[in-house]
Amino acid sequence: MAMTEEARAGTGQHGRITARERQRNPWLGQSVITGFAGAAIGYLLGHLFGNIIASNYAVVKASGVNNVSICLGLALGTLGWLAGLGAFNYAVAKILGYEPAKEEETTGWQRYFKMTLDHKVVGLQYLIAVLGFFFTAGLFAEAFRTELLSPYSHFIGPDVYLQLVSEHGTMMMMMATSLVVGPFGNYLVPLMIGARGMAFPRLEATSLWLFVAGYMVILTAPVYGGFNTGWTAYAPLQTEARGGMDSYLIGFGVVGLGMILNGFNQIVTITNLRAPGMRWTRLPIFVWAMLTTGFLLTLATPVLFVGAYLGVLDRTAQTSFYVNAHGGSSYLWENLFWFFGHPEVYIMALPGFGLVGEMLTVFSRKPLFAYKVAAAGMIGVALLSFFVWQHHLFQSGINPDMRPLFMLDTELISIPTGFIYLVGMGTLWRGRIRFTLPMMFSLAMYFNFLIGGITGVYLSDVPVNVTVHGSFFVLAHFHYTIMGGLVFAFFGAVYYYMPRVTGHMLNETLGKIHFWMMFVFFNLTFFPLLIVGFLGMPRRVFEYAPRLQGLNAFATVADYLLGLSFVVFVANFIWSMWIDPKPAPHNPWQSRGIEWQLPDPVPFHNFDRLPLILSDPYHYGEEDPLPVADFRGGGALAALAEAGVAPFDAYAGRPEIAHPASHISDPGREV
Amino acid sequence: MAVDPQMMDPEALEAEAEAEYDLLGVEGSFWTATRLLIGIVTFVWAGVAFAYFYLRESDTHALWRPHGVTPPTLLGTLIALCVVAGAAVAVYGKYTLLDGRQVDWGFAAWLTTALGLVAAGLQIWELTRLSFLPGLSGYTSVFIGYAPLNVAFILGGTYWMETTVARAMRLRGRLATTGGAGASPLPDARLLRANVDGVTYFWVYMALIVATFWALFYVL
Ligand SMILES: [Cu+2]
Repeated sequence: MAMTEEARAGTGQHGRITARERQRNPWLGQSVITGFAGAAIGYLLGHLFGNIIASNYAVVKASGVNNVSICLGLALGTLGWLAGLGAFNYAVAKILGYEPAKEEETTGWQRYFKMTLDHKVVGLQYLIAVLGFFFTAGLFAEAFRTELLSPYSHFIGPDVYLQLVSEHGTMMMMMATSLVVGPFGNYLVPLMIGARGMAFPRLEATSLWLFVAGYMVILTAPVYGGFNTGWTAYAPLQTEARGGMDSYLIGFGVVGLGMILNGFNQIVTITNLRAPGMRWTRLPIFVWAMLTTGFLLTLATPVLFVGAYLGVLDRTAQTSFYVNAHGGSSYLWENLFWFFGHPEVYIMALPGFGLVGEMLTVFSRKPLFAYKVAAAGMIGVALLSFFVWQHHLFQSGINPDMRPLFMLDTELISIPTGFIYLVGMGTLWRGRIRFTLPMMFSLAMYFNFLIGGITGVYLSDVPVNVTVHGSFFVLAHFHYTIMGGLVFAFFGAVYYYMPRVTGHMLNETLGKIHFWMMFVFFNLTFFPLLIVGFLGMPRRVFEYAPRLQGLNAFATVADYLLGLSFVVFVANFIWSMWIDPKPAPHNPWQSRGIEWQLPDPVPFHNFDRLPLILSDPYHYGEEDPLPVADFRGGGALAALAEAGVAPFDAYAGRPEIAHPASHISDPGREV
Repeated sequence: MAVDPQMMDPEALEAEAEAEYDLLGVEGSFWTATRLLIGIVTFVWAGVAFAYFYLRESDTHALWRPHGVTPPTLLGTLIALCVVAGAAVAVYGKYTLLDGRQVDWGFAAWLTTALGLVAAGLQIWELTRLSFLPGLSGYTSVFIGYAPLNVAFILGGTYWMETTVARAMRLRGRLATTGGAGASPLPDARLLRANVDGVTYFWVYMALIVATFWALFYVL
């Protein structure tokens, strides 16, 4: 596509700094430094406006808390952050009709602190961001588990306890929604489908920096007195909570926007940018997971966004959406929240199964068992997940006649979920299993998810739900699915894909220590919590029945050691990536996926020529399998000729030109 | 394409084919993105509509809508009319563009942009002309929640229309010799048309939404 000089110059910011200037000083132009400056300016301006608008409101005078200035400060701070990073440059230049700048390759470590259009850089930035989120929220958990060492003597008071629990839950939920879609979705999807990038690279980068902004916003909560509602923020507690609730609502709005953008980008990219020959039936299972998760992200998250927006209005503009005394209803929040909240459960499950599906085939040297069933299962889970949210309100006073219906459709979900699970088991069956680190994490995920999934079926059952709702049983159940499932799959994928992403393997010995500690102590932490929940210990209470001390203390100590396993991981990561990096061999796991066939490191535009995809990547263990793809090109011409696009249709039926696959003589690429 | 592809050498032919393949991908992305965006926005409005019906049905403390409070009806109707007219003009403009009458499309697009700005302005003004406080009732709360979102989406659609027509003006010289924005086979023109298609679709959708909520707030 020829681009004129006029168009290239018309790029606002980028036009003025030449490549040579940037080489001399990589910090020239916009980066997190200008981002922080923009955030500070926006935050202060927002606070100022809020004080001007609302400081004489009766409710502000009476309570001494100006929610208007808090909300405006956080919202304008986020906008300033994005503006400082340069997220709006093109959007503003567009008003004058300018075209996008020609994407240039950025180098040097400084690019990781900038907004970039390279999906591989964004993926790695996301990885660091989700780890930061995860470890911060994990530290909160260590603190409140310490409080639960004893029912008598107290390390932190009830108020701080609730704040820590709420902050931990909220941050973990925010983190988990992007844990896989963020790093691996952005890094891997274009490589796996044979594309040169995501469909909307600016939205991709914006979603990342929104995620980072959300991290900062939710961490302002303690400054405003925290919030003590738990991560669900049920009204009327929400309306009555201190200023920290504003951080929660704005934070979920900000992270939610990033989630919507990310899911949007995944769907558009997967549907439109697949390489020639990448039919739906050849799509890697991870890409199917990203596609179905994308639909959950784009369609469920807007409802959370609206819920948070209405909550902000209640706390600032004094509307009464969730205030029963003024014609509102606290159930309105509960419904909006869970309409998002249940699909979110699968936003946090499907990506894990996608990753594990990729690793299982490689390490058992077998094709993915019942590939189409796995894809269908993911679609089924995604569809059904929109119709079950009322099961969270079984004990909240819904019409009792509605409960059997929601119990039944919740239990129905276990059928497609079971499909996905059994596809994994079928893949393992009679495989030549290699117990590598990623494989161990994958197997552990199946073990944990079995406990998490089956306890979930119990919870969906109304009579059992009456007994165990609101208890540690619920808590342990969803930790078994989210942490036992998604987080295990995530760490397996980190060990699996780091050689691809950075060119360095993580140290295997340290990795094994990490794995065994994490697996053993995860189970020793949460299995006792299933029991204490069954014995009646409620969530979100800082004291408990003395007879439960033994199990609680046991869980706390196990949790310390679980935390220690992540110290091992971080040490390993720093050691293997920076202190003593060793170059990884090419395609160290002998995968057939096209993401592994690319040179090391992956070139800026991924593919010199669009690859021609010849089969799905799962033909392991076959005598003489067809190569997965022909990287020498010819695919675009063949696809256009076949589709009858003029003038290329002239080549239809001329296989020597239109079907270079027929003369592939390069099986050396294959494993 | 002016060159007969039969005569090209294989390398150049493949490069040409890839450019076309990429372009089809980008056009498809616009198509998908527009429909998906409408899906996302629908779930936003569905959340608001859910609040409307949920609070209306609950009628907590008989405070759904005491004394039949209503925001200024004339203003509300004008806003709805502006958006519906903007959508109608956009649709008319799109067909004139495809007929090759580019001047008409440019005029239509600017008119839609202006109507969008007027609608958003009126919606903000209406918020300052209310005879009730936000927390008076369920109905008043939902209206206060609705209005800023309405401003945001109208401005969003206006921005999209404006950026499309601004791009078209910059491209005019480049496309003039090949049949103009409506017919030129150049990639720039094809992407422009994909954008026009998307933004028109979005405006029609917005007209439906605004008409629906107009009925909810002022008629029902
Ligand atoms: Cu649920």
